[in-house]
Amino acid sequence: MKGNAPERLDVLIDELKGIFSNIKAHEIMNTSVVVIRPDRTLYQAKELMRLRKISGVPVCDEKGALVGIVSIEDIIKALENDYINDRIEKWMTKNVVWIDENEELIDIVEKFSRYGFGRFPVLNPETKKVIGIITKADILSTILKKLKNLYVRDQRMTNVLEKSDLHSISLITGEKLDKSGADFYFEINYSDINMAGIGAAKLREFLLSRGIDEETVRKVAIATYEAETNVVIHSESTGRIYCFVKDDFIKVRVEDNGKGIENLELAMQEGYSTAPDYVRELGFGAGMGLVNMKRCSDKMVVVSEVGKGVIVEMLFNIKLGGEKS
Amino acid sequence: MKLSEIAKVLNAKVLTCEEKVEDIDIEVVGASDMMSDVLLIAKPGMLLVTGLNSPQVIRTANIVGIPAVVIVRKKTVPPETIDTAKNLGIVLLHSPIPMYVACGRLYEKKLKDVEGIIK
Repeated sequence: MKGNAPERLDVLIDELKGIFSNIKAHEIMNTSVVVIRPDRTLYQAKELMRLRKISGVPVCDEKGALVGIVSIEDIIKALENDYINDRIEKWMTKNVVWIDENEELIDIVEKFSRYGFGRFPVLNPETKKVIGIITKADILSTILKKLKNLYVRDQRMTNVLEKSDLHSISLITGEKLDKSGADFYFEINYSDINMAGIGAAKLREFLLSRGIDEETVRKVAIATYEAETNVVIHSESTGRIYCFVKDDFIKVRVEDNGKGIENLELAMQEGYSTAPDYVRELGFGAGMGLVNMKRCSDKMVVVSEVGKGVIVEMLFNIKLGGEKS
Repeated sequence: MKLSEIAKVLNAKVLTCEEKVEDIDIEVVGASDMMSDVLLIAKPGMLLVTGLNSPQVIRTANIVGIPAVVIVRKKTVPPETIDTAKNLGIVLLHSPIPMYVACGRLYEKKLKDVEGIIK
């Protein structure tokens, strides 16, 4: 694959664009925005900026509508020319460039480079009220958050995903998966939440009997338990647990044919859950399942389509030189 | 601290695996009603204090290597839960006192939390 590196980079950039371009201003902005009235003095604006450690502040009338903006630069000029005690309205920038809350990331970035300002107020286009503010730092942190949830797929992964029958291919290695060769198989054929965990418990027993070290077994069991619980709570269908034991790793695959995950990115977020109340009363549905699975495993891939179920594949490295008794 | 002593401190009845209470020594205690949390924070060998009494609690304990569970506050423990504990070899204790009080008493006995924090 060495020859086509730039080509792959293009593909990657295109994919990233697709993921980031539809981010809207209201997802990026900082909503705890400080504003000041035009009848206050520049001295007061300076104090506000100093206390809140900000470099600019939108000026709003009594109805909250944007009328101007004051930046550190205005303050410096006021200090140099000795009008710091003048009212803000006299010196503020009145033609403020602002961002519509529905504006997309690409246009916002473009605004930053075109005007060279440090911040843009975000307005509701109808009321003209300031609902937030965007600095470059806000953009950076939004992108980082998105990246955290993104699995950048390599070529191998693309090959896997382009093949239609995901059910016969390993999501992690791309190899053909002979499920009949699984070392452990369990059918999740119940929908009673009170039974969830039986499969994981059996897998735990099995792995211990195979002499796998306790720490690894524990990780596998926890992650499998979470996956099994997800099938029972969310899939509204049955599922299957497969486990393959190799010399240096354990692979667990949990599949169902249920309703699928609507928004994988949300589902990966800590604390996000769509679990019904009765499930929460049993102590589940904290929105930690996928997070915990990721934490326990060394590699995890989740593939899901609405109406077509979920496949989770997890890889656990077996510690070399671990006690195999 | 021996499980038998913990049972005394909490006025708890031992429902399963009574033969183990002299042998199990507890150093760490975690309390939660969220099984998802237990999966996240549990340390092997820890005692779990919980207000839930479903068999799920026992299965969660088994998965993370918790040898003993105290069910607090609830008046009764369903037979399915007791059976599950018996089958998995987990010591099940039942105490009618509220979770806050149970934790307070164990804290007083200098038992550590999952982070190993205690003054």
